[in-house]
Amino acid sequence: MGILKPHFKNYRKEIILAIVTILISAFATLWQPRLLENIQKAILADNKSTVLRDGIGLVILGLLAIVAGIFNVYYAAKIAQGITSDLREETYAKIQSFSFGNIEKFSSGSLVVRLINDMNQVMNMMMILFMQLLRMPIILVGSFVLSIITIPHYWWAPVLMLALMMGVGFIVIQNMNKLFDKFQHYMDKISTRVKENLQGVRVVKSFNQGENEIRRFNKTSDSLNELNIKIGYWISTIMPAFMLIAYLVIALVVFLVGRSANLNPTDVAVVSPYVSYILTLLFAILIGGFVIMNFTRGMVSLRRIKEVLDTEPDVKFDPNAPTAPEKGSIEFDNVSFTYPDSDKPTLENISFKVKAGEMVGIVGATGSGKSTLAQLIPRLYDPSKGTIKIGGKDLKKIGEKSLRNTVSMVLQKAILFSGTIASNLRQGKEDATDYELKRASEIAQAQEFVGQYPDEFDHEVEERSANFSGGQKQRLSIARGVIGQPPILILDDSTSALDAKSEKLVQEALEHDLKDTTTVIIAEKIVSVMNADKILVLDDGKLVAEGTHEELLKTSPIYQDIYRTQKAKEKRGEIDE
Amino acid sequence: MSNTKKALKYFAKYLKNYWKGVTIVIVLSLISTLSQVLGPLFLGNAVQGLTKAVNKVSSQSHDLSSFYQSLGSMISVYAAGIIASFIAWMVMSKFTANATNDMRENLFAKFQRMLIRYFDTHQDGKLLSLFNSDLDNIFNALNNAIFEIISQGALLIGTIIMMFIVNPTMAIFTVATTPFIVIVSVFIMKKARIYLDKQQDKISDLNGYVNEQINGEKVIITNGLQKKSVQNFRKYNNDVRRAMFKGQFYSGMLFPLLQGISLLNLAIVIGGGAWLIVSGQVSQAVGLGLIVAFVEYSQTYFQPLTQLTSIYSMTQLALTGARRLATVEEQDEENTVPNGKVLKGIKKGVKLENVHFGYDKDKEILHGVSIDVDKGKSVAVVGPTGSGKTTIMNLINRFYDVNSGKVTFDGIDVRDITLESLRNNVGIVLQDSVLFTGTVEDNIKYGKPTASRDEVIAAAKEANIHDFIMTLPDGYDTQVSEENSVFSTGQKQLISIARTILTNPEFLILDEATSNVDTVTEAKIQKAMDAVIAGRTSFVIAHRLKTILNSDKIVVLKDGNVIEEGNHDELIKKHGFYYSLYTNQMAFE
Repeated sequence: MGILKPHFKNYRKEIILAIVTILISAFATLWQPRLLENIQKAILADNKSTVLRDGIGLVILGLLAIVAGIFNVYYAAKIAQGITSDLREETYAKIQSFSFGNIEKFSSGSLVVRLINDMNQVMNMMMILFMQLLRMPIILVGSFVLSIITIPHYWWAPVLMLALMMGVGFIVIQNMNKLFDKFQHYMDKISTRVKENLQGVRVVKSFNQGENEIRRFNKTSDSLNELNIKIGYWISTIMPAFMLIAYLVIALVVFLVGRSANLNPTDVAVVSPYVSYILTLLFAILIGGFVIMNFTRGMVSLRRIKEVLDTEPDVKFDPNAPTAPEKGSIEFDNVSFTYPDSDKPTLENISFKVKAGEMVGIVGATGSGKSTLAQLIPRLYDPSKGTIKIGGKDLKKIGEKSLRNTVSMVLQKAILFSGTIASNLRQGKEDATDYELKRASEIAQAQEFVGQYPDEFDHEVEERSANFSGGQKQRLSIARGVIGQPPILILDDSTSALDAKSEKLVQEALEHDLKDTTTVIIAEKIVSVMNADKILVLDDGKLVAEGTHEELLKTSPIYQDIYRTQKAKEKRGEIDE
Repeated sequence: MSNTKKALKYFAKYLKNYWKGVTIVIVLSLISTLSQVLGPLFLGNAVQGLTKAVNKVSSQSHDLSSFYQSLGSMISVYAAGIIASFIAWMVMSKFTANATNDMRENLFAKFQRMLIRYFDTHQDGKLLSLFNSDLDNIFNALNNAIFEIISQGALLIGTIIMMFIVNPTMAIFTVATTPFIVIVSVFIMKKARIYLDKQQDKISDLNGYVNEQINGEKVIITNGLQKKSVQNFRKYNNDVRRAMFKGQFYSGMLFPLLQGISLLNLAIVIGGGAWLIVSGQVSQAVGLGLIVAFVEYSQTYFQPLTQLTSIYSMTQLALTGARRLATVEEQDEENTVPNGKVLKGIKKGVKLENVHFGYDKDKEILHGVSIDVDKGKSVAVVGPTGSGKTTIMNLINRFYDVNSGKVTFDGIDVRDITLESLRNNVGIVLQDSVLFTGTVEDNIKYGKPTASRDEVIAAAKEANIHDFIMTLPDGYDTQVSEENSVFSTGQKQLISIARTILTNPEFLILDEATSNVDTVTEAKIQKAMDAVIAGRTSFVIAHRLKTILNSDKIVVLKDGNVIEEGNHDELIKKHGFYYSLYTNQMAFE
């Protein structure tokens, strides 16, 4: 509930009005039986003026109830939607402040469920709070007091009833809490399963795994179902249990009244209203129980949202740091990195220096830590040990905006967002002109196909970028990387799906158009980085050699090994010719 | 309205299997309603009996037997009602959960049968919201609405009948406001429905946006787009806020409105009764009795009405959800060709014959492509990006069907082969490798879940990933998912190669499979692949000429046409497009 407090403040007026209107309508509900009783008595007594007066009173009460009720819904909806949407925005903004490691820990599927499904539960909870829950105590206390006043010497009966119901309610809520928690957990699982199947739809189909996927999904779905049934059973018990308690108390009181009728004959006359008060109490509690059930679910969701809000981004930026881009030099000083779920370091004691404007190649076997090293520069992760400097400044002291303007990274996996080609490229430079779009796409060798679309840069990007081939996606993602002419450009094996000619053209264009840019190229093939000013050779997370191609050929056995294999293969190709 | 019909049909379909449960719930909820009506009657009797007894106190005959009798009846009636509703709730919890589970499982199964085209043109996140939001709404409504609708409906009808039996004139007074209520309600509900529908659409848009953004978070972080992402989010979020506010307001309005009207109605009933007396139609005594009775009836008449409106938004959301689910169920499915030929190995080869194809009908990508792949041969397709190479794979595996021309296996059109046997014979290594949540072993034996650990290890060794897997703390039992960082992209690709190796397919399609691994690994994979390709028919889509030098035939594709064909030597001699591709590559390396 704590995380809602700051949001409540923004709706102070609405909250007050919602409470006032709820009080008015609760008053109407409690007042109406009295008015009716008066009218009935007046009719029996043939007191026409009272009938008329209270009849008009009834009409006014009705109109009042309508007006108050509608305003109550209006304000409740305003508050519930307002606060939920604000909270959703706050949560989303928080997620956007996360490092990639934070997001991995939650898993993106779970974050989506929290933003959509859990928020809906919170919304329901707020609607209930401002339409029902606040009314309950008024009616509850009202009927409780009235029932005690009616037959004072059986005061213990409504007290006993309330105590029993609270006991039952407590047990049920304790259990429900756990179950709802589990429920949201299974929702996460379902969501992840579906998401994976959508992402891998071609794999599922080409391996004929539809049936197995269904079986696996059904297993999760069945567990959710069992849980749902369990929750249902608890809900099924609570209503009848409350009714049972109420009717037993009623029967007991009526029985006692009957047995001692000769001692307290006046009790008999008030049995009817007494019972009706007890029943009002029961219904208030029944509705209250139903409300509390939803409330419990809302609270579980709120807790899950709180989890997100309470998570501190594990990569933090200094908000007061200057925003101007830094120079393009890079320095690693004894950097080690271990992924959170792993106990084996992916990078160990890496140290090297790169001057601004240089081209650096990083080579090494698959899994040697090349991508991880590259991801440390734009702070997708922070090193577990050691420091990284760019432009001579500790990475941790550089402002976020400055870092983003300094370092641009083209990822291994080309990700495009739905929208247009232009909107994707402009992610690299928000205010890019048409000329800049064209220039970037020329560098990335994307202009040859973009130019063919009649709508050029306004061409639509479909879901999963299905309307682009792997090579086209990579070119667009390179274009996004170079559009801002960053001081540091990291290409993480981002030309893998390009043909050799295009790859060469991209490199030439980079050399020509981004002369001052420090380029870090992670390559699977030595040939891609042969011309680099410096090549770093990684092996199993360690920097085993650095130097130019020629130097490394002389000094590094691992480099020689890689190069030889590649050469041999080239030869094999040539022999075939 | 037809939308509502569609939704109701959907519900009928899924509740049909639980007709026994539904019947039990109907009967029991009628019993529980009856007990609610009868209970107060017996209570009244008990009090009457008591009053009589008390009046006789003076005569010293303190006889409480009729009181006890009525009290006993009351208790048993209430007990019956409680037991009935308890059982009804229990039965209902079970079948509503089961019915929702059926819907969820059928929806997922439907996903498995639908066309790739649907997934390529619909946002993942929007499809996800069917599970995250719509099914949840349906379950809520099934759980809370069925019992209410039945018991309140019964109460309503019962009350109307009783009223007309007792006094038709007074009954008319009591229901006098009903036409007005109906008109107002229909108006409000219409509005509410529009906004509730809109609410679900907007939520699904938001879901789509959020899903895409979070999945592409690395791009967002590295480009510093977080603020912009939040800014755009605000737009979607505000759409949801507005639509939801209106939806909740309009649907919530009914309840207080009806509650208020019920008070006004009491005034009408009292006024009407007074008129009957004044106009001399009934005696004063009878009239008074009628007024008292009809004040009660009016309240029981309005109770179900207000109760039903209070669950309106819940039911409407469920109807919207059901409509959306039903729309998905209507989507075209892949033709599995159940009576088609069962492909058992390839005897002659695979052919593309004059294939024309475009993802959009009016934008053709392949313009009459013909390619022969003879049994046991390896054919490589090369060409610039966007020339249609990947599209060909989509057609061979029937992710899409040709517009004209045909794809044949041993002369049989793929559209005449059972889809299962076709895909069992075709193994694919895709451009993007995908991991599923589970262990490393699960992922490798994905295509053949019955494979033993030894087979898995053998495949992993062939794909050169075994050594790395052994360095993981849990080895083959390490938990992986698409998102966690256990594997690099290159390693993921090795896993997906191992996955394909394990299924031992007759026909192999490699879509740039070896482009993301280092040269050392690639050399080893190439070796493994050479072994796999040997004796197998294969089709390699590649940009790297080196990886295809060994193929028996090379097909050069450009702008959706085959422009050259032959083996490497022939094509080199030709000095055509391939020659320039090749010399470019060699010059570069």
